[in-house]
Amino acid sequence: MEDQILALTADLAAVKSAAQVTNTMFAEMYYYVTIPLMVLIHAGFLLYEMGATRVKNVLSSGVKNLLAFAFTIAAWYLFGWWFYWALPTWPLDLAAGAGYMEISGIGYANAIALPWGDSAQYMGPNMADNASGVFWGAFALFAATTASIASGALIERIQTVGFVICAIVLGTAAWGIAAAWGWHADGWLVTEFGYHDFGAAGLVHAVAGFFALGVLINLGPRVGKFNADGSANHLAGHNMPLTVTGLMLIIVGFFGFLMACIILPGEGWSWYADKGTTIYGTPMTLSALAFNVPLAAAGGIIGAWVVTRDPFWMMSGCLAGIISVASGLDVYFGSTVIAVSMLAGMILKPCADWLEGLGIDDAVGCVTVHGTIGLFGVMMLGILGSGIPGLGAFAPDDTVAISIWGQFVGSIVMFLLGFVPGYVVSWIISKAGMLRIPDAVQERGLDAVKVPARAYPEGMASPESES
Amino acid sequence: MGYFLDNFAELMDADGAWIDIGMFIGGAGSSAAGWWTVIATVMLIGVLVKGNSDEQDHYK
Repeated sequence: MEDQILALTADLAAVKSAAQVTNTMFAEMYYYVTIPLMVLIHAGFLLYEMGATRVKNVLSSGVKNLLAFAFTIAAWYLFGWWFYWALPTWPLDLAAGAGYMEISGIGYANAIALPWGDSAQYMGPNMADNASGVFWGAFALFAATTASIASGALIERIQTVGFVICAIVLGTAAWGIAAAWGWHADGWLVTEFGYHDFGAAGLVHAVAGFFALGVLINLGPRVGKFNADGSANHLAGHNMPLTVTGLMLIIVGFFGFLMACIILPGEGWSWYADKGTTIYGTPMTLSALAFNVPLAAAGGIIGAWVVTRDPFWMMSGCLAGIISVASGLDVYFGSTVIAVSMLAGMILKPCADWLEGLGIDDAVGCVTVHGTIGLFGVMMLGILGSGIPGLGAFAPDDTVAISIWGQFVGSIVMFLLGFVPGYVVSWIISKAGMLRIPDAVQERGLDAVKVPARAYPEGMASPESES
Repeated sequence: MGYFLDNFAELMDADGAWIDIGMFIGGAGSSAAGWWTVIATVMLIGVLVKGNSDEQDHYK
């Protein structure tokens, strides 16, 4: 009998060990898969922006996009990852010490997020660590996505290296700090204000959109965009099908982006042994996304169709629909999502027209789709989700719930985290002569001047250019 | 900066079980990781400086 109990105990231990290995490998695979899915966002951005560009500048736009992707990922490895872990409590705690959950602060970041010294064990191959790499990879793609969002607004007149510097600042510093403050269980916006932004409407989209606005003010419009009387001309891109397909690919990538925002159960780093959660430790399922993301996409398309009948704005509406409910994708009911995302699709074009009326040449409506609708989404959760706990059951007793006030404070912070760095960095770059491409070069076409290849060597050219 | 073991047989102990491997980047536990980070950083900055110089030449 005793022997049988011992044998059963050994068998049970073996089964538990095997189950844990399966759970660990599933979790590793789950986050790993989000990475190529998010690369699809960049494939989409590439098509989208090249399609929205005139023939004479097509490849130049592509080069800019590829470099933003590449440099942001490298910079995220070198210092962006450190920002995210180091700064959740700063500046409320000027020393940037650890927060309540003790997974933040400069000391913690120095131990796990620097590619040198003892910390290097978490920044490269390590058989004892199945988590750091896949989390880093997912966050690197979040960073690259944030940087690439701003790219479309600036096409056809921003210099390449000047843009890359902007992208690095946006993707690593601005977004890294925004995520530390509003997308981390120790983040002060979360603990002090109950800020909730599951799908990053504020801390990715609004930050990127308003960063773009800051740059646009210093960059100025494309040659020929505005007439002497201030009226605007429509500078149509050379390939609408490319643009619309690119937008749809971005939506595909969004599924990866959003699934990466879920914390799986049963691992040492999980919030719970048996329940999936948001990054804040509040309960949620992947099924919530399966309901709400397609519904949001549908609502956005329909809303934009009602107002515009234009496929470009319908696909922009699709993006806007998802962004408008991103903050509360974990808690919204499906019908709520349809209503909110349709509204976002409807207000999109009028908001973009209003911005253009102010003399801002946002080539693809980036400021509106990501900035305005991003903040709209953050505030909608304040209106529709007030009173929902902002952190999971492990949180301190005085944790603040989601509220209109908290979401409003978060909106202001996200606006400033985007706009101020965007304006300041582009101003400095402009003073260094590295921001705006000279008007004569714009007229001639960027590809002819600085790209050793032709987009369509057998035909198709802008009438006024050499490309 | 070679592999962290001389041969793959060393991945198993005498009982055929995996050894406790941990970090296996080249130069694990030394300053090598930091030096590679310095080299990569210098290369990236150098590319931006040279890239900007070339770009300004295009606009002249």
